[in-house]
Amino acid sequence: MFPTLKTGAVMQYPAKRTLRFNTDTIRFLDGTEQRFRDNPSVLHAWTIRLDLLDEAELATLDQFFISNQGRFGSFSFTDPWDGTVYPNCSLEGDTFGFQLSGEMRGKTTLTVCENRT
Amino acid sequence: MLYFPQLSSGAAGQFPVTRQRVARTVVNQSCQSYETKLADPGASITEWHLSFEELTDQELAALEALFQTVEGRLTPFTFLDPVDNLLAWSEQQDQAVWQAEPLLTLTSGLSDPLGGTNAYRVSNPSAATLMLQQTINGPASLDYCLSLYSRSDPSTRVWLLRGSESDARTISTAWTRPYSAGQLQSTADTISFGIALDPGSTIDIFGIQVEAQTTASLYKRTAEVGGVYQNARFRDDTLTITTLGPSRHSCELDIVNVEYI
Repeated sequence: MFPTLKTGAVMQYPAKRTLRFNTDTIRFLDGTEQRFRDNPSVLHAWTIRLDLLDEAELATLDQFFISNQGRFGSFSFTDPWDGTVYPNCSLEGDTFGFQLSGEMRGKTTLTVCENRT
Repeated sequence: MLYFPQLSSGAAGQFPVTRQRVARTVVNQSCQSYETKLADPGASITEWHLSFEELTDQELAALEALFQTVEGRLTPFTFLDPVDNLLAWSEQQDQAVWQAEPLLTLTSGLSDPLGGTNAYRVSNPSAATLMLQQTINGPASLDYCLSLYSRSDPSTRVWLLRGSESDARTISTAWTRPYSAGQLQSTADTISFGIALDPGSTIDIFGIQVEAQTTASLYKRTAEVGGVYQNARFRDDTLTITTLGPSRHSCELDIVNVEYI
């Protein structure tokens, strides 16, 4: 499970959600096109920007990144917009960083993406 | 032992601090977005960007001396993460990194002060004082602060162990967070932290934390990775210092810890 903040929330505003299809296009000499879908369904991604986190919340996210070994591991993620549980998600990147500009003033960004199952 | 120096205040760093972890995953992606992934845990990197303002001549001299001794990015040194708990497995005292004396009994799964069930009950049924400790590969001469959540019913006494020092603290029935801080007159390359229980006493503990500073900050949970990095290096071969006046220096530097070098 993706960790929640102390408030119980997963994300903060501004929150970004991405829907991704994968369409192949073949363009012919006369300008016409033939399109077909590469993916059987849409894939979701969530960009989680977090600000004013305390050190414990940052440590929890850090441990989550370590235990997942970056984008290698998979986990379930609950979409905070509609409560849908996506059982097979991963971190999008192999990098996790944060800036601590003072006590309880941590800032970080993570992107969670749905895997094709 | 080469190690990154503390400031004269005993602080390990100044805000802002930036830390980044980089993992390596080999991904084979098909046209239909199916992925096969392989982890490469040995290739992980941890990086810090540190900013220092208003350094004194002494503080700058210590930093410069380290930079010259390690010859820029050539040689590794020990770096104690200023924003992390130096102990590994802070919530699993039954892991091998914790050295519990044989007669000490540990019971896991108790409710903890943060709302979980990660506290331990530690009992000493013997007639001697028994210890639970973890040793870190950090220089014993630095300032350290050991802290933990603890409670006991009935109220009892616990010893906080910090190297050769031991401080007695009275534990009440409610969760409190006693700490022991200070600097040792020792040149050892390792130092142990933990608790000691008087004969017949029982206490609940949670969230043992050690930081290379003079007081305790918010508790940070750790697993297999603690905040001691023995293969840290300066990222660059240059160290630029700005001097604003007598004993008023500032600089920024990047440190990387790469295990595979």
